[in-house]
Amino acid sequence: MEQLTDWLRRFRLLVDEHQTELTELDSVIGDADHGANMARGMAAVVAKLDAESSANIAELFKTVGMTLVTSVGGASGPLYGTFFLRFGMSAGPVPALDPGALGAALRAGLDGIVARGKAELGDKTMFDALAPAVDAWDESVTGGGSAADASVAALAAAEGGRDATIPLVARKGRASYLGERSAGHLDPGAASSTLLLSALADSLRA
Amino acid sequence: MIGIVVVSHSPALARAAVDLALEMGGETPPEIRIAAGAAGGATGTDAVAIAAAIDDVASPEGVLVVMDLGSAILSAGMALEFTTAGTRVVLSDAPFVEGLIAAVVVAGTGASLDAVGAEARAALAGKTAQLEGIGDDPIEAAVSAPEGDAASDRESESHVEFDAVIDNPSGLHARPAAMFVKTAARYRADVRVTDLTSGKGPASAASLIALMSLGVNRGAKVRIEATGPDAEAVARELKELVAGGFGER
Repeated sequence: MEQLTDWLRRFRLLVDEHQTELTELDSVIGDADHGANMARGMAAVVAKLDAESSANIAELFKTVGMTLVTSVGGASGPLYGTFFLRFGMSAGPVPALDPGALGAALRAGLDGIVARGKAELGDKTMFDALAPAVDAWDESVTGGGSAADASVAALAAAEGGRDATIPLVARKGRASYLGERSAGHLDPGAASSTLLLSALADSLRA
Repeated sequence: MIGIVVVSHSPALARAAVDLALEMGGETPPEIRIAAGAAGGATGTDAVAIAAAIDDVASPEGVLVVMDLGSAILSAGMALEFTTAGTRVVLSDAPFVEGLIAAVVVAGTGASLDAVGAEARAALAGKTAQLEGIGDDPIEAAVSAPEGDAASDRESESHVEFDAVIDNPSGLHARPAAMFVKTAARYRADVRVTDLTSGKGPASAASLIALMSLGVNRGAKVRIEATGPDAEAVARELKELVAGGFGER
């Protein structure tokens, strides 16, 4: 639980650090608000973490998800909100997660994003970074890896998925209005999702 | 009467759209709630606020949610997971302004959720028809949905028709068309309007958008047909409405 709270705090710091970069990516193919929206949302999440303590992991991530839903504003609100809500529901009212349960929670969050945004691999979305990351996590754990091992594998897969969005033509969200012109640019949602996994790897290795 | 929730990235846009719809909605508009903007005044949408608006406006007849684009759609979908309204909630894929106007006017007649939703959806077809100058196909599409029980009444019921000249200043556009739809909705009769001057129609008077799509101008001659148990009564009142210039003179 402490590590997971640490994950969220680290994610907030990474989002802050990369806020300008995320917004610049979004200004090329989107509406130039992803960095600001995520920074505002995660600032609200950390304020909640500071103000109140959660009894268990399910409760913690319900708070995180609902806070993002109300504070982000853009499409990343319901998408990240759904990710964390489903993560918490999968984890359940427990104080800790083993690597397998953490992977299942990540998978549930990913499935939630798919249900919400109807994205498929190659649509140039956050799914392109998260889906290979969750697969890599499972593969690592199946092979006997620890949570730290799995998080490193997941981060590498997310980075690969993120970079693979560059040549893609966007098929979801505002970027899809640009058609062919969206090719050649990194997807901002894939970039922020990779930060999420980067933060997770940092906290699990700390 | 159903409730309507208006979801937009912009509170100003939502308020203006609702004002416009109410201008045409007449004296008995449905309950409307706006859920627009994200927490702290940011541009965006908030699924929790949308769910609260749905709960607030919920009636046994159901709730129609009209939204703008992008995150509004994601947030409205998510709001369905949070609402405790316990009534049927439909997310409309209608164009924001046109769909909202159609929904408010038709909901004000006491129409069912399905009928209001169908009318809102038909708003885009109505606009397409007006722009292309081809009225036939979209008018048919709009007519079919809210027809209701009228078709089954038709065989055994009386039929009344009369011709009239539309001579109020704005023709059969927004507000007069809304009055026409509301009047027709109070009777058990299938009412159809044909613009004899332009040759467009017939359009069902159950559908505001279909009626507006006829584009009946001042001076046009129209044929009004009523079929059903109340055919005579509705024809009488519509005749008076047209003769009185829809109160515009």
